[in-house]
Amino acid sequence: MELSVNGQTRTLDDAAVDPGMPLLWVLRDVLNLTGTKFGCGVAACGACTVLVDGQAVRSCVTPLSAVAGKPVRTIEALGTLDKPHALQAAWVAHQVPQCGYCQSGMLMAAAALLAKNPNPSDADIAAAITNLCRCGTYPRIRDAIKTAAAALRTKT
Amino acid sequence: MKRRALILSGLGAGAALVVGWGLMPPRSRQGSADTLPVVGGEIGLNGWIKVAADGQVLLAMNRSEMGQGVHTALAMLVADELDISLAKLRLIQAGPDKLYGNVAGFIGALPFHPSDSEPGRETRTVKTGQWLVAKLARELGINMTGGSSSVADAWDVLRLAAATARAQLLGAASLRWKLPVDELVITDGIVSHGSGPSAHFGEFAKAAAVTPVSSVTVKDAKDWKLIGTPAPRIDVVAKTNGTATFGIDVRLPDMVYAVVRHAPMLGGSPGATNADAAMKLAGVERVVRLGSYAGSIAALAVVGRSYWHAKRGADALQVDWQAPPAGVLDSGAIMQSLEAAAHAAAKDQGGFAFYSRGDVPAAGKTASRHVEQVYRAPYLAHAPMEPINCTARITGEGGARRVEVWAPTQMPGAARAVAARAAGVHEDAVTVHVTYLGGGFGRRLDVDFVGQAVRVAVETQGRPVQLIWPREEDLTHDFYRPAGVAVMQASLDAQGQPTSLAITSAGDAITPRWMERAIPLLAGPIDTPDKTTSEGLFDLPYGVPNQRIAHVATHSGVPVGFWRSVGHSHNAFFSECFIDELAFEAKVDPVAFRLGLLKDAPRHAAVLKLAADKAGWGTPLPAGRARGIALHESFGSIVAQVVEVSLPNGPQSGRPRVHRVVCAADVGVVVNPGIVAQQIEGAVVFGLSAALFGRIDIAAGAVRQRNFPDYPLLTLADTPRIETHLVPSTRAPSGVGEPGTPPVAPALANAMFALTGQRLRELPLTL
Repeated sequence: MELSVNGQTRTLDDAAVDPGMPLLWVLRDVLNLTGTKFGCGVAACGACTVLVDGQAVRSCVTPLSAVAGKPVRTIEALGTLDKPHALQAAWVAHQVPQCGYCQSGMLMAAAALLAKNPNPSDADIAAAITNLCRCGTYPRIRDAIKTAAAALRTKT
Repeated sequence: MKRRALILSGLGAGAALVVGWGLMPPRSRQGSADTLPVVGGEIGLNGWIKVAADGQVLLAMNRSEMGQGVHTALAMLVADELDISLAKLRLIQAGPDKLYGNVAGFIGALPFHPSDSEPGRETRTVKTGQWLVAKLARELGINMTGGSSSVADAWDVLRLAAATARAQLLGAASLRWKLPVDELVITDGIVSHGSGPSAHFGEFAKAAAVTPVSSVTVKDAKDWKLIGTPAPRIDVVAKTNGTATFGIDVRLPDMVYAVVRHAPMLGGSPGATNADAAMKLAGVERVVRLGSYAGSIAALAVVGRSYWHAKRGADALQVDWQAPPAGVLDSGAIMQSLEAAAHAAAKDQGGFAFYSRGDVPAAGKTASRHVEQVYRAPYLAHAPMEPINCTARITGEGGARRVEVWAPTQMPGAARAVAARAAGVHEDAVTVHVTYLGGGFGRRLDVDFVGQAVRVAVETQGRPVQLIWPREEDLTHDFYRPAGVAVMQASLDAQGQPTSLAITSAGDAITPRWMERAIPLLAGPIDTPDKTTSEGLFDLPYGVPNQRIAHVATHSGVPVGFWRSVGHSHNAFFSECFIDELAFEAKVDPVAFRLGLLKDAPRHAAVLKLAADKAGWGTPLPAGRARGIALHESFGSIVAQVVEVSLPNGPQSGRPRVHRVVCAADVGVVVNPGIVAQQIEGAVVFGLSAALFGRIDIAAGAVRQRNFPDYPLLTLADTPRIETHLVPSTRAPSGVGEPGTPPVAPALANAMFALTGQRLRELPLTL
């Protein structure tokens, strides 16, 4: 099978994967892309959020067969060290992460939101970011998304 | 004797006597130049600091980063003394040397009343107890990240280590250049003199290591460059691009994955097992029977090519699960028995009295009014976002057997010990790599999962194994925050002033159970009184003249563990709601009522006033909103919070909506105000999840809550605005990670009372 991840086509060994295997485990355990996290396995916490065709998707319940031929983007390709995504820069500016475990999923969910809505209100953010954070970084996430949105609006 | 047993209860009196504290030499906490292993031209200066050939400073980091910002905070202490930027400092993991043990955390476990243990004004008994426990803790060298103790423990030790290294480096430069030492300056790791010479630390390190220094002092507060600033956390960039390595992210060549399945019932075990269906599935390699490790129950682990393959195998096992021999647990029945125990002890002055003053019965006889209420709190799970996991690899045979463990743990020494037991090797053959922790909250003070991972690695013949618990195993087999009940009794005089306060609580003690499983060396033959059962009740700052604060330690059989803010997490709810009830009885404003009882506690009064001022206490609110306040000291820090609440779905239905939480805190010297604010915000969210939703129910022996849909956490949509205001202080730093949690539930409940007139005396809060 083939999978398009972060702009690269990856050929998966048919013996190693199964069409029903959730995308999360293909990313983590087959491709060693460990930035995407496992939190609950039932699409309840959002730690596993990635972009499929630009949409935020909970990869722990998304079978590999459902993403055939569609581009998958993970935290590893949100930005680079030299050119971080506006959200990553805002996350650093607001000092968002504590333990950091949920933040990949938060950032990918936020990226999907900003791609659709360049100027989200508090209500828009609350509706889009349903991921769980046990450390309680939510107030800073809210502020950082607004900062990133403003930065992206100025750029374009 | 009772008093002495009490003094030592934080560590276990039995262990103290075995070690023979009277004969122990004092132990420096600086270590020597050869404590740290060196490679490639590095030079060790003491047990904490070495210098690389290029002038980089390496700091031995003995605390686990689980979100609380400790790597940054401890690095700041060292960088400030050495006059280097955080970028010039690299962290390396501290090894198993006793030097890296936690002393402050164990002193914090002593059950002293704050009025007896005020720094600088300690009573003789307190001084003796603290000295004894400090000595014992140094000898034992237990490396623990917990109890909000890391900065307090490092404050003197790391600054002195860095100041000594600095003096040695300057001394070496002075000798080489033949220039007076007090004319040399350090600028971000470069030593220079106005006359021209300049060189980095690496050039003097070898000479510095043998340069004797005398009378080293740490910097004066006015000279701090980093301490007190909101320096960016050193872990934040890696935590925004997916490169931060948590335990579950460890990847080793040829690694396999193991998924654990425990009996549905707490204390249950696997009987006859049919693994045929599981073994037929692609990618499933083997099934391993797990014994009990550091508190875990017997279980099964299925090994597979990926988590998903192993999980499918675990789901396919057919197991005849056995009920626990001790009987089947039920949380409703446990709550009833706790309540009965608390009532019985309240009636006949039973339980262990952690604090007594005056004469409560006599005060009751002359009082004009009596108030008595019962408060309740349920079991709770930790639910850190990173599921429980550990990676292990065993190589070599016989005497050459080596065990390597990669663990997100708050207790690397205990992890090492359980790994050694599970592999049947000496501890010297075990290396523990501490990864980032995807949340700890006390769950990772237990090392059960480390033993399980090593046990599976024994079977995988040299292949590394990453053992992972599905979320359902985490929620149904946690070491839970114990359920608690308290009978609260007070007498008031004719003016409404409280003349007596009697609190009798009941619930399981955590510390003796934890020591039995995690640090067997400290487990005594009998349970000594556990401060954590009564903290937040016996240590109140209010000047009520007659008090008896006692606890009945029960044995419910439910596995219990330390949960962020431990006893304070529910006891603050009991005490601060009850104080609010007394204010109402006295017909006095809740802030004014508390201030009236805080005449001998000026720091508490200042924090309370700051929170009230910043929240606009007493000013009008929009219709349908109300405020509530709570004040609580824990882990040496004082926090007050004002919560603003409404009921969007009507006065008697639906969930409350929390709009704003204003926090004021006195945490001593603030090392990094950004991190302190972050921790308090997080602690508020953690406390609100518990106050609004948190409950673990046990029915027919099994925990009912299995995943986040049944054990909800606060979401971004429900998160209020949170403000933090810090009181300036010159006292040594106290706890930061936990003290923000206890006040939020009572502040919310008190706001609900102000809004509805209904007192909510049970957690979670439901109308």
